[in-house]
Amino acid sequence: MTHGSQNDALVENLRLELRRGSLVLAVLVQLRAEHYGYTLRKALAQYGMDIDEGTLYPLLRRLESQGLLVSEWREEDKRNKRFYKISRDGKVVLKQLLAEWQVIGQSLEEILKESDHGSR
Amino acid sequence: MDLVDRYLQAVKFWLPKKQKADIIAELSEDLRSHIEDRETELGRKLNDSEIAALLKQHGRPVLVANRFLPQESLIGPVLFPIYVFVLKIVAAFYMVPWILVWIGIEVSRAAHSGQSLITSVAAFWTTFWPMAFFMIGGITTVFAVLERVQTKSRFLEEWDPRKLPPVRDPNRISRANSIVEVVANLVFCIWLIGGMWYQTVLHFSGLTITLSPVWRYFFWSFLAVAIANTIASAINLFRPYWTWVRASIRLVCDCVGSVLFCWLMKANIIAAISVVNVAPEKTAQIAQAINWWSAKMFPLAIVACAVIVTVDAYRIYRVRSNAGPGIVLNAATSIC
Repeated sequence: MTHGSQNDALVENLRLELRRGSLVLAVLVQLRAEHYGYTLRKALAQYGMDIDEGTLYPLLRRLESQGLLVSEWREEDKRNKRFYKISRDGKVVLKQLLAEWQVIGQSLEEILKESDHGSR
Repeated sequence: MDLVDRYLQAVKFWLPKKQKADIIAELSEDLRSHIEDRETELGRKLNDSEIAALLKQHGRPVLVANRFLPQESLIGPVLFPIYVFVLKIVAAFYMVPWILVWIGIEVSRAAHSGQSLITSVAAFWTTFWPMAFFMIGGITTVFAVLERVQTKSRFLEEWDPRKLPPVRDPNRISRANSIVEVVANLVFCIWLIGGMWYQTVLHFSGLTITLSPVWRYFFWSFLAVAIANTIASAINLFRPYWTWVRASIRLVCDCVGSVLFCWLMKANIIAAISVVNVAPEKTAQIAQAINWWSAKMFPLAIVACAVIVTVDAYRIYRVRSNAGPGIVLNAATSIC
């Protein structure tokens, strides 16, 4: 493996790691409106949060088992689909997570600002 | 849609029984929506190759199913480093010595019986692999059981920082070791001078053992090495840090001692044995057998000496490459 491709693989791994935590947040935010799996995936992709079904469906199941989502099977366009929506508990957790997300963003900005000053 | 059904069936095989139907229904819906979307984009039905490409993009069935399964490991992250450490210990202190001893025995056997190398290697594989397999398998099983116990009882989470071992300095010489070395070398010197000075080394209760004349050289050489080792260990006792000078002296002493020891194995050192009321032919046979077995042990002696010399050489390398805090602590006493 060349140094360039090693570096690309490393960046890709770190990028995935960075995104993994924010996926839960993105899914919870998006499920403030009801979606079934495929439309949720499309909606997230529209905002640049591509997520494959192998990651999304297990995540939805986990969030549901944690009580943050509710789901129901319903027929739409002559096909049975499972619709997901954020639960009441989910909304409370989402509020806390968004606050935490903002704190992390602000902290990171401060650190960046500080290090920019330092490096000058 | 034949390909999609076949794909879903393959995924279904790996899923947990209770969730099979639910997960497959959802995956099926996702796949069919995806295909419909593509068909709307293209304005026509997808052909088999296009569906195959789309399924490939979704991932291998077993991997897709795996993401729905609870994440389990045979040995978890808490125990894994300990497991690897135990395997290394077993490899270093059981398997490697086992291989070295085997090499020694086989080299000796090949030299004496003319057995071919291929026969020896075949014999090695047939005995080594089952031994290694059961050893590694046994350790893995023990750790897998410990993992299950640990998951339930969390016994590894109970720990006290005050019980951690003190900081270890690899270049520090244990005073206890130095004392043992001094005493052992002195005892050896006394035994040499007191009991091995003459060629007839044992004359007791009708048993007489006489060594060959070459013993005289071994006597003086072993005595010189033992005295050098006693002095070196005494210095280590008062200056308990390895310096490269003292580590080199230890290497030289051990090299000389090793050469002497290996040579002794081949030197037919027992000249004669006599026992009252036993025929001289019989005692001659016993003396010959002792010398023969001693010579047979020559490869093992070489392996043992090689290990000792390697350890000594590594010590010099460690001291010279300034590894460990010992060098910093030892700066003031760096010259012997």
